[in-house]
Amino acid sequence: MKALIIDDERLARNELRRLLAAHADIEIAGEAVDVEDARAKVAALWPDLLFLDVQMPGADGFSLLEQLEAPLPLVIFTTAYDEFAVKAFEFNALDYLLKPVDPHRLDAALEKLRGRGDPPPGPPGAGGTARLTMEDKVFVREGDRCWFVPVKNLRLLESEGNYTRLHFDDHKPQLFRSLTAMEERLDPKHFFRANRKQVINLAWVDGIEPWFSGGLLVKLKGGMQVELSRRQAQDFRDRLSL
Amino acid sequence: MTAPASLASGRPDILAVSAAGVVGSRVNMDHASITQARLQRAKERLYVLCQTGGWTFFLTLQIVFFALFRNEHIAGKTTQLELYLSLGRVAAEGWLITHFARIWLTRWGWKDLGWKPLIPRVILMAIAMSAVWTAVGYGIDLGVLRMGYANKNPLWLMMTASFVNGGIMLLGWLCLYFFYHLFERLNRLQVEQLSLAASVKEAELRALKWQLNPHFLFNSLNSLRALIDEDAPRARESVTRLANMLRYSLQSGQQETVPFEEELRLAEDYLALEQVRHENRLRVRWEIAPEVRPLGVPPMILQTLVENAVKYGISPRREGGEIAISARCEGETLAIRVTNPGDLSAPASAAAARAGSSTGVGLRNAAERLKLLFGPAATLTLRPQPAGHVTAAVSIPLNPVPGP
Repeated sequence: MKALIIDDERLARNELRRLLAAHADIEIAGEAVDVEDARAKVAALWPDLLFLDVQMPGADGFSLLEQLEAPLPLVIFTTAYDEFAVKAFEFNALDYLLKPVDPHRLDAALEKLRGRGDPPPGPPGAGGTARLTMEDKVFVREGDRCWFVPVKNLRLLESEGNYTRLHFDDHKPQLFRSLTAMEERLDPKHFFRANRKQVINLAWVDGIEPWFSGGLLVKLKGGMQVELSRRQAQDFRDRLSL
Repeated sequence: MTAPASLASGRPDILAVSAAGVVGSRVNMDHASITQARLQRAKERLYVLCQTGGWTFFLTLQIVFFALFRNEHIAGKTTQLELYLSLGRVAAEGWLITHFARIWLTRWGWKDLGWKPLIPRVILMAIAMSAVWTAVGYGIDLGVLRMGYANKNPLWLMMTASFVNGGIMLLGWLCLYFFYHLFERLNRLQVEQLSLAASVKEAELRALKWQLNPHFLFNSLNSLRALIDEDAPRARESVTRLANMLRYSLQSGQQETVPFEEELRLAEDYLALEQVRHENRLRVRWEIAPEVRPLGVPPMILQTLVENAVKYGISPRREGGEIAISARCEGETLAIRVTNPGDLSAPASAAAARAGSSTGVGLRNAAERLKLLFGPAATLTLRPQPAGHVTAAVSIPLNPVPGP
């Protein structure tokens, strides 16, 4: 696995490098000193794994994840002492290491990653940004909570100006991306533009009812309903008949 | 403000009371109100005991007096039984009058009055009560019991004598009653004052209690781990510095003022450790006049300024910057200045904002502490100068530390 170490302190990066020397399967592709630097390095190196310091000059580690285009690399957070961040990690069962890093904790965190068997995201195709697979994850933060949401869990995406509201599990946080930008990244085999405001995940469709003037009412698992106009209803029928 | 003097004196007492206060405040409300009710019942019992005991004593005294000095002039033709009945009636009447007086006094709130308004009221009250006592007494004797007036002195003279006698008795009763309450109030006030002093003290101690910032501590330890391989002598030196800081942190809050020299050493240790972490992002310039070293300053005052400078001037900046620390005597004051790159109007960095510490919580605490110790003579200001920088300036009256 190719790893990128992101930390503003040189000694902290060195320390992690030294600890990772014991893990032959982790190749350290590079280091970054802040969020801006990290964005450039991620784009250039396409690491599989990020060791991400939470507190850095300027923007913090979470905001890097918000800025990165999915598919996201795997992430292990590092922090010295930040009650807020640790709470967020524990709430979301994210991997994190407390500095100074305990080598055993590092082993356990890496073991967990290997055990998950996630296919490491490859570099994008020639066209630039790749489409998201159903297994890819989207990072979203709202207030003091954050999630890595698997694309397959997204039931519904709703446009709210420059933002998109994601509906998954019991949550519906906002993502700072337009619905159109999101739609371009989603696999049209699985996601369908129901109307100007909404994109639905076909895997979550629970039932379909006729609606006014040739339209359709699509019921999603979990109780939400989405209206389709006649023209989109036609597209929808075509899609489902395939 | 005379805080320093009061801080220095009586500390053990106040701390003892403060400890008791803490224990007391943990007792839950139910328990407290039960205690209150029990106290009230005990007071009531004491009153009944004193009231009944007092009047019984009065009655006994009267009976003994009349038995020993049986006087035809006074007793007249009344029978022995009638005489004793009359004495018992007088005592019972006194008991009742004072008992009701107590109820009214409570209702009128006289218990909370001071000396001056109380004296005329007590005198008038005694006169009124005595008038009632006399009138009702003679009314019962002559009107209800129809004992017949058989004294050789005229009735008006006897009534006046009774009235004056009774007035003095009741005045005595009222005085005893209010003496007791004034004394009790004084006691209560003293306890309140002590617990107030204790809570003020506690607040001060909390302010003085400085702790190593855990974020700094763990980051430093992390850097140290890396430094052990890279630069062993520097790692050793850093361990010593960290140990110094930990020791200082454990001891802080025990003195009112410390020599500036100690503060300097702490700030040097702190900045050296921050330099290990931030490397060339943090540069430090010292301008310390030699004569300020022995001067007394509140503990942690320089540390607060320096930590603030690193937090807002260095940490959020990728390029870092220089922190300038100067201390010198200016007239009758010690002037400490800490300058860091920055902008007062700029929003605090996201990380700092998330940590829940907006600019200057530490500085505000420091300013309050200065005020407590030195009154208006000490100041702490934050100014956006020179351009692109922020300077925190502390000015305190020259205050040599008393020799050991």
